[in-house]
Amino acid sequence: MTLSPRFSLTVGGLATLCLAAIIHILVVLGIPHNVQHSAYDNAAAYGPDRRFNLLPDVEPGQEALPDLDPAMKHAVCRFQLGNGPVLFDASIPAPFWSIGLFNAAGETVYSLNNRTAGAERLSMLVLTTEQLSILRENPPENLEDLIVIETDEISGFALLRAFVPHPTRAAEVDAALTAASCGGI
Amino acid sequence: MSELITRPTFLSRGEADWYEEKLPRAIRPYNSNPLRTLAAVFLVVFFAALLGISSAYLVIEREQPLNAVTIGPWHAYPKAGTADADPYSVAIYTRGALVPLASGEGLALIARQDSSGHLLDPTCVYRIAGQTPTARLWTLTAQDGRGHLVETLPGRVHLASQSLLRDPEGNFQITAARNPHSGNWLPLAEKAKASDGLQFVLRLYDAPVTTGAALDGVSMPQIRRLACP
Repeated sequence: MTLSPRFSLTVGGLATLCLAAIIHILVVLGIPHNVQHSAYDNAAAYGPDRRFNLLPDVEPGQEALPDLDPAMKHAVCRFQLGNGPVLFDASIPAPFWSIGLFNAAGETVYSLNNRTAGAERLSMLVLTTEQLSILRENPPENLEDLIVIETDEISGFALLRAFVPHPTRAAEVDAALTAASCGGI
Repeated sequence: MSELITRPTFLSRGEADWYEEKLPRAIRPYNSNPLRTLAAVFLVVFFAALLGISSAYLVIEREQPLNAVTIGPWHAYPKAGTADADPYSVAIYTRGALVPLASGEGLALIARQDSSGHLLDPTCVYRIAGQTPTARLWTLTAQDGRGHLVETLPGRVHLASQSLLRDPEGNFQITAARNPHSGNWLPLAEKAKASDGLQFVLRLYDAPVTTGAALDGVSMPQIRRLACP
C-alpha cells in the first residue's frame, strides 16, 4: 500500500506534534531535578547551618536571594531535622516581621507573622512525628508556649523577614536578627 | 464528466499491467525505500525536539507562572511556591531559586503593563493612585523586566505604606519617575533604556487576601502613563 503525499505529510506532522508535546512535558518536569542552585543551596553561602545568618541588605546588584523586598531585612537558617528538632526563638523590635519555613525544594511548608504568632516573641519548634512522640514522653516546661510544627520534610530553611520602618532603626533590627536563635532545645 | 471518459480507458488495459501507475494508490504495491523512511523519521524527531524544547524554554524563560489572579494590571500567583503549584511554576521557581512570599506572610502582586495595557517603560513617568486591599503594611518596588533591582538617583528603590503622604480620605498618589518629583516619589532606574523593561511589585504584608478566592472584587491602584520622552 502506498500513501498519498498529502496523507504522509499529515501523519508526519501529527507525529511531530505528539512527540514535541511529550518532549515539552519531559523538559518542564525535568527542570526541578536538574537545577544547579536551589534556594536551599544558595542559603548555605551566608553561614553555617542551624543558626540565623543575616543576609546583606537588599540593594541593586547585590541581592542575596532573588525576589526579596528591599524594605526588609532578612536572616536565613538552614536546618536538618536528622540532627534533632529545631527551636526558633527571636524577639524583633519591628512593626512587622514574618517567618517562612521552606523545604529543600523551596516550597512553603509553614509561615506566620508577628500578629498571627500571638506574642511579641517568636518561639516555634519544628520536628518530625517521631521526634514529637519522643518529646511528649518527657515534655519540656515551656512546651505549652511553643508553636509546634510537625513536618515530614527532613531538611529545609527558614527565612525571617523584618520591616525596617526608618533607616535609624536598621542597626537595632540587625542586632535582633543576628541574636535570633535557630538550634536545639 | 472526466470520470466518465477515463474509466473506459483504464478498464481496457487488462490484467497484465495491474501494478502500473494508473492503479489507485491504496492498492498499488509498496516499494520500500529505507533511506527515505530513515530521513522521514529523522526529520520528525528533529523537528519534534526543536519544537518541544523551544516551547518549554519560552514558557519558562518568560518567568510568568500560569494560573495568575489578575486585578487590572496586577498579577498575583498565590499558589506558586507551594505544594499545590502547577509544573510550570515549579520549574520557574526552582530554576530561578526564587523564595516565595508565603501565604502567612503576605502576597506579592506584579504589574508589567499600565492600566491601558501598554508595557511599562522605565523612561516614562507613571502615576500610581487608588486604593490597596486591606493590609497592615505594604511596599511598592520598581525593578527591571528581569526582576532585578536597579540603581536610582537617591539609592532607594521602594516606597512603604507607612511613610506615604495621603489626602484626608486616605487615598494616595505615587509618581514613578527617573527624576525627583514632589509628593510620593518612586525612583526609577537612573540609566535605563526602554528595552530594559520595568515591573512594579506591590507586596501586601499580613493581608486577609492571601488566597486567590479572596482577591475577587478588591480594588487595586491604577497605573497611568503621564509622559514619555
